[in-house]
Amino acid sequence: MRDSALKWGLLAPAILISIAMLFYPIGRSFWYSLHDWNLTISPQLGPFIGLDNYVRLLTDDPQFWHSVWVSCVFSFFSVFTTIVVSMLMALLLQGSRQLEINVRSILVLAFAMSPALVGISWRFLLAPEFGAADAVIGWIFPRWADVPILADTSTAMVALVLVDVWHWAPYFMLTFIGALASLPQETIEAGQIDGAGRFRIFFGIVLPQLKGVLAIAILLKTIFSIKMLEQVITMTSGGPGSETSTVPHKVYETAFKFYDFGYAAAMAYFLAAAMLVLAMIYSRMLFGGQK
Amino acid sequence: MTSLSSGVAPMPTKAQIRRQRNRKTMSVLRIVGILLITALWLLPVLWICATAFKSPGDVISLDIFFTPTLDNFAKAVGPNYQLGGRIWNSIIVTVGTLLVAIPSSTAAAYAFSRFRYPGGIVWPIGLLATQFVPAVMIIIPLFILFRSIGLLDTPIALIAVNLSVVVPYAIWMIKGFMDALPMDMEEAAMMDGASRFRALIDVVIPVAMPGIITATIFCFVVTWNEFFYALILTSNDSVTLPVSLMSARTDKGDEWEIMAVIGLTIMVPMMLISRVVQRHFLKGLTAGAVK
Repeated sequence: MRDSALKWGLLAPAILISIAMLFYPIGRSFWYSLHDWNLTISPQLGPFIGLDNYVRLLTDDPQFWHSVWVSCVFSFFSVFTTIVVSMLMALLLQGSRQLEINVRSILVLAFAMSPALVGISWRFLLAPEFGAADAVIGWIFPRWADVPILADTSTAMVALVLVDVWHWAPYFMLTFIGALASLPQETIEAGQIDGAGRFRIFFGIVLPQLKGVLAIAILLKTIFSIKMLEQVITMTSGGPGSETSTVPHKVYETAFKFYDFGYAAAMAYFLAAAMLVLAMIYSRMLFGGQK
Repeated sequence: MTSLSSGVAPMPTKAQIRRQRNRKTMSVLRIVGILLITALWLLPVLWICATAFKSPGDVISLDIFFTPTLDNFAKAVGPNYQLGGRIWNSIIVTVGTLLVAIPSSTAAAYAFSRFRYPGGIVWPIGLLATQFVPAVMIIIPLFILFRSIGLLDTPIALIAVNLSVVVPYAIWMIKGFMDALPMDMEEAAMMDGASRFRALIDVVIPVAMPGIITATIFCFVVTWNEFFYALILTSNDSVTLPVSLMSARTDKGDEWEIMAVIGLTIMVPMMLISRVVQRHFLKGLTAGAVK
């Protein structure tokens, strides 16, 4: 009897938090999305318009679809580059000598940095004239010496992707180092005895065994990339024009610049639908075996 | 590692010489790679740190050498930027979040680990799945809610929202450790006459401590760095450090040296704990992934 009080009592605070701060807003957002509600026009919820916001979104908003395209481009390149770079870093830094441990501590700092700080720091570093990174890039690639990196349509997205890689690669590097350490050493030694080269061993023996970790890392990074918003706000503000305005940034602007809450909520739901599909894949990968 | 040589040193064959040369190039490449990585990740951070000590004139020069000054710190704590107040806000929000999040997550983790609920594993998974929902969707109704009950621009609102971010992860991090703890230990304690609650406090929590520490570090890093919710929910009194970065963008242009001072302040705790982060925080996030 005491047990049953304990059973629900222990859960109560977490339930309260998740209802008030997660399930309520998620449900409420959907309700908003069925209304025409601009906060600048009325502080009360506007008229119910059914699915009109969604119709407008799907049929009559090229700017939104542009942001979908921006998000896809950003996500594809940031996921791909992050995974490749962090795998290379993991192979380089998987040792446990003092050198590797120290370098890894430095790298972790980039990951433990506030995303806003990452964005604003790189805005400074990439500024034309006095940005240190801008100067280095101009020195190595004279072709880009006079390009204002964050203001140029062709380079702003590249910068956004690379900064995101800078932010996340250390995290996935540590994930991969953990995975590499858990591989059975015998399989690699067997390859060495057979005289296989480093590349053969990596692609033939190591990589296939990392398939599961790799799949989850790719999926997680995809979700993080689709959700990424802080760096857009702090680094490019979506510019130049709307070339780096991702879907979350578009929703943010619609809601908190134009206060078009109903329409923004519909956009957010569209984004959430995409995330839901990914979340389902993710939970299937994580918990599929436990059913 | 696998040294087959006995006492006699045989003449190296051509293949051995080639392999040795290969190994030498590989280790040179390795060192170059590690140096490159260190430079790419360390130099930007160092540059930002150095900028905090530069006079406005030095900020826009690319010279490596400059005369350090503490003027920026004096300016940052002044009335325009109120760095002291921002630090205080960040501390209140972070400590407040931890004080609620860790006990309630620990309790929920134990509940999910030991009791069966209708729906079973759906609940903890569902909780985690909410983290794939875009932040903008959560914040729209909460912004309205906090506005209507007068909690905008208060630490309470920020603590509440941060809980929604950290509690689902924290539950999972701690639950993993509790799952691994054999039931017998508790039962033995209960056999000796301890109540289930006592057994939880005296037996389970000490053993689950590594998970609780991991979750605490995770919550600390996330809350301390949190930017987007604070950007929406605060305007003046409760602005936290990451949001105050934006205040360095003034009408007269960006005051990068102030941005660097604020950035340095945000980074200091992360620098102090980066070793610990390397060990714990990342293990926590990947606990599910590596398995």
